[in-house]
Amino acid sequence: MNNTSQFHPDETMLLEFSAGTLATAPSICVSAHLHFCSKCRTSLLRLDQVGAQLMSEAKPLELEDDAFDTVMANLDSSQQIAAKADNKRTSYPFSVTKLMKNNLVSQTWKRLSASVDVARFETGQNEFEVALHKICAGGKTPKHDHHGLEYTVVLKGSFSDENAVYREGDFLVREPGDVHQPMGAQNGECICLSALSAPIKLTNPFGFLMKPWLRINPM
Amino acid sequence: MGLLNTETTTPVTLRTNGDRVAVLKSTEKRSDQWSQLLISVGETHDRQAFAKLFKHFGPLLKGFAHASRNEGWFPGLGDDLVQEVMIKVWNKAAGYNAEKASATTWIYTVARNCRIDMLRRKSNTQHLPLENEDFWHEPDEETPISLLQQKRSEDKVQSSLAQLPKEQDEILRKVYLEGKSHAEASAELGLPLGTVKSRVRLALQKMQVIVSIEAQE
Repeated sequence: MNNTSQFHPDETMLLEFSAGTLATAPSICVSAHLHFCSKCRTSLLRLDQVGAQLMSEAKPLELEDDAFDTVMANLDSSQQIAAKADNKRTSYPFSVTKLMKNNLVSQTWKRLSASVDVARFETGQNEFEVALHKICAGGKTPKHDHHGLEYTVVLKGSFSDENAVYREGDFLVREPGDVHQPMGAQNGECICLSALSAPIKLTNPFGFLMKPWLRINPM
Repeated sequence: MGLLNTETTTPVTLRTNGDRVAVLKSTEKRSDQWSQLLISVGETHDRQAFAKLFKHFGPLLKGFAHASRNEGWFPGLGDDLVQEVMIKVWNKAAGYNAEKASATTWIYTVARNCRIDMLRRKSNTQHLPLENEDFWHEPDEETPISLLQQKRSEDKVQSSLAQLPKEQDEILRKVYLEGKSHAEASAELGLPLGTVKSRVRLALQKMQVIVSIEAQE
């Protein structure tokens, strides 16, 4: 997809993504943005060229004597993929589609407020809660602030807040203390991917997560 | 012999994945030897070409593995990474798209993904539903950037990387080779995170890596 997103991850985040040092949850969000944004895909390709150049300047190390033979012996048993890589365009980003297929915490949307539903993902890490949020058409969400960082990528439809309208592919970062009140577009529901970091309080001896992720401020 | 090697003076029409058709002028061949070898592996399962790639990239991959300073590092990582990456190179060579990237860049991306996954598997007890490769299933471009432009940006990266001030170069190496996040780099170097990020930004500006909204090529 090649719609031109208005809001992008900043270049230091793209670099960490290219180097593979970005944590899993923000990486999911960056990969979702890339699905929509050809500009960032091009930047990433160049960042990979930087990584490749640095790798080729790394100090080469001598291999074990049998390294080549071992690989050759394994080639026959492993299957060569004949066709070109399958890069079909799907409506949702690959990583999100894979999570939706295998790693939903629950198979149904959970009601978060009158106009917002949530579906959480199991992603093998505890730093961020990764979830889909669905805002119904014209739905007002409760005004809320953030304990931690929140990354959001619009996957379908659009929503707006006090500052702007956010459309498919747009990538947003909210810092702790940012207060906002997103509102779904009138012409249809909006689905967003979000990764929300929360100060994890491991206060009980079993290490269960005790804190709710999102503080809802009653209006 | 593949289309990329065709010695014609007229433009060659290349049909690639599905609906996308790219026109490749004969002057726009990817001429570096590693890319040619990788194309041969993909097209004809050429074992001699693969042996040459192995000889060149094997020791670099081992060096890349040993440069890692991440949690989960173990002494055998280098040899394991060489095995895993080179088998993937053989298996996936048919999907290599020479219009998009040089063999070195392509093999780097395979190595990066493998290295991260191997380290995560070692240091993590939780089930990890996503592999790093899952983040890199990008759709093909509807208007692909020409090979000439790709090569130009690769040359630019190469020459400008060599000219970066030491303090910028140091951070890029920490991040790409040692696998450190900006926060970890800032702690190790005793610099504020903002300084690390601004050095990264300056380096990227010099190398003209980030496509700005106005100046999309």
